[in-house]
Amino acid sequence: MSATVTEKQRVIFENVSKFYGEVLGVNRVSLSIPPGITGLVGPNGSGKTTLMNLMVGLLRPSRGRISVLGMDSQRPEEFFRHVGYSTQYDAFPPGLNGSQFIRSYLRVHGFGAAEAEAMTWKALERVGLTEAAGRKVAGYSKGMRQRVKLAQAICHQPSVLVLDEPLNGLDPMARAEVISLFRELADGGLHVIVSSHILHEVDLISDQVVLIHGGYVVAEGDIANVRDEMEEEHPAQVSIRCDRPALLASRVFAQDSVMEARIDDDGKGVLVRTRDADRFHLLLNQVVLENGLTIEAVAPADADVNAVYQYLIGSNGEKS
Amino acid sequence: MSETAASLASPTPAAPAGLPWRRWASQAGAVMRLDLRKGFRRPVGLLLLAAAPIAIALIRVVFSAHAVHERADVAEGTNFYAWMYQILILRLELFLAGVAVFGNLIRREVLDRTLHYYFLSPIRRELLVAAKYLTGVLVTFTLFGISTVISFVLAYLPHDWTAVSPFLFHGPGLRQLGSYLLVTFLACVGYGAVFLALGFFFKSPAVPALGMFGWESIHFLLPPLLKQASVIHYLQSLCPVPIPEGPLAVLSDAPSPWVSVVGLLVLAVILVAVSGWRIRRMEISYDES
Repeated sequence: MSATVTEKQRVIFENVSKFYGEVLGVNRVSLSIPPGITGLVGPNGSGKTTLMNLMVGLLRPSRGRISVLGMDSQRPEEFFRHVGYSTQYDAFPPGLNGSQFIRSYLRVHGFGAAEAEAMTWKALERVGLTEAAGRKVAGYSKGMRQRVKLAQAICHQPSVLVLDEPLNGLDPMARAEVISLFRELADGGLHVIVSSHILHEVDLISDQVVLIHGGYVVAEGDIANVRDEMEEEHPAQVSIRCDRPALLASRVFAQDSVMEARIDDDGKGVLVRTRDADRFHLLLNQVVLENGLTIEAVAPADADVNAVYQYLIGSNGEKS
Repeated sequence: MSETAASLASPTPAAPAGLPWRRWASQAGAVMRLDLRKGFRRPVGLLLLAAAPIAIALIRVVFSAHAVHERADVAEGTNFYAWMYQILILRLELFLAGVAVFGNLIRREVLDRTLHYYFLSPIRRELLVAAKYLTGVLVTFTLFGISTVISFVLAYLPHDWTAVSPFLFHGPGLRQLGSYLLVTFLACVGYGAVFLALGFFFKSPAVPALGMFGWESIHFLLPPLLKQASVIHYLQSLCPVPIPEGPLAVLSDAPSPWVSVVGLLVLAVILVAVSGWRIRRMEISYDES
């Protein structure tokens, strides 16, 4: 198979469907995922894990074609030199400690003993697990098990890293460290594909998002662009904290593009709904200058992935 | 987490150096080591099975005053061992070991939810199956080979050494032992391949195992053509000392040793290849399993 240059740089789904008997897994998914961190977002049961399992060949599509950097997962001997996957399965081979777990599978990759040993410790160091490396994995806490799975996924230096709910069970410190690791890897040119049902978590770490619901991809791309496309149906909301909110509200509400200007409950800010955010920001500058207002903060109130998901699906995407 | 991104985000490493055969051997070795470590840590059931003929032979030694009629008659020991080997070791223990070990080589990984670690490694799935199969053969043949040797020696212990020594070292004794070891090995290979393959077609190995046990048990009643479709037909023909099959047995010509040996090896290769084809198409969905 001759892959195009674009294909060799992207993870591509072409009209992919997966059915479990008559039950829908995912349906007619077409995606083109560039390098960087891609957040796969949706509530539990929406099809995120199915999509990831299809990506790495643990499942076969009922229809359609999947290509990861121009490779087909049906040739695992080549494919998995370039792809690492941390699954959601919280299970480990019995009897092994952390370093044995990583090293054993590196040997299965075909690496020699010394090379596997060095790569094992490098990966364990990356996830901050060197001190617990000699303990049996069965005795690890949930957070440590997540980290050792992550180490196993990155130990062979893949170009594509697929991570299913990798932040589950991590304490805040470990979450911050792992997110920072994702960012470093993505900055180094890797594809890091992360699933989560916690929307704000994905919002923090992703360069682009894929919103999935009921087996369908409902939106894809940079979250701000996705939000902009919804402006007609769901006007943008902007929160302004200032010293004279009543004055600001009266001035901006007089403009056509502003649909609503509501003073905050604490009386120290205004929430504006507008169909034209760009025009509103110009107007705001003008009002501030003309009236000498002191602005504390201006921020979009519904440009995050949570709001986008809510508008698209009618729920907040959290586990119900 | 202090290293730079470049250290991990470096270009993907090339495949380890060496010809594919060398790499495949290295990968198969890694799978076998890992399987031995995690799959056969406490093989209590297998050890008990393998120890059973030793225990029976030991009991015969302890109660030799009653159990052995003529100490100078080595043939009595030979007959005792032929019956024990063919009824207990071959038809029951090696069969059960085949079910327990080979029927669970893949299934246990699915139940433990650990098969995906292999599936996410750059190893040909056919090679994975072959390596797991070889692990099973290694484990079962080691255990039951040792059991065969020890129980064989114990079968002659109650007899006079002056009679046993010429039988063993100048007569057919060691050749018989060699034949029993060959049958043990081929039983591990044959039953192993059968239950490995059946494991890909049935969720639980118990159902096909029961069916096959029935088939193998009544093989002496089957017409000659159907006898050829049983593993025991070929294994039994290689046993050095035949035992009577009873008045209801349908007589047929035993296959030649070469046909039996080559036939069982070819059967094993075919069934392992079928297993390789199945695992190539296998999906992982533990929840459904």
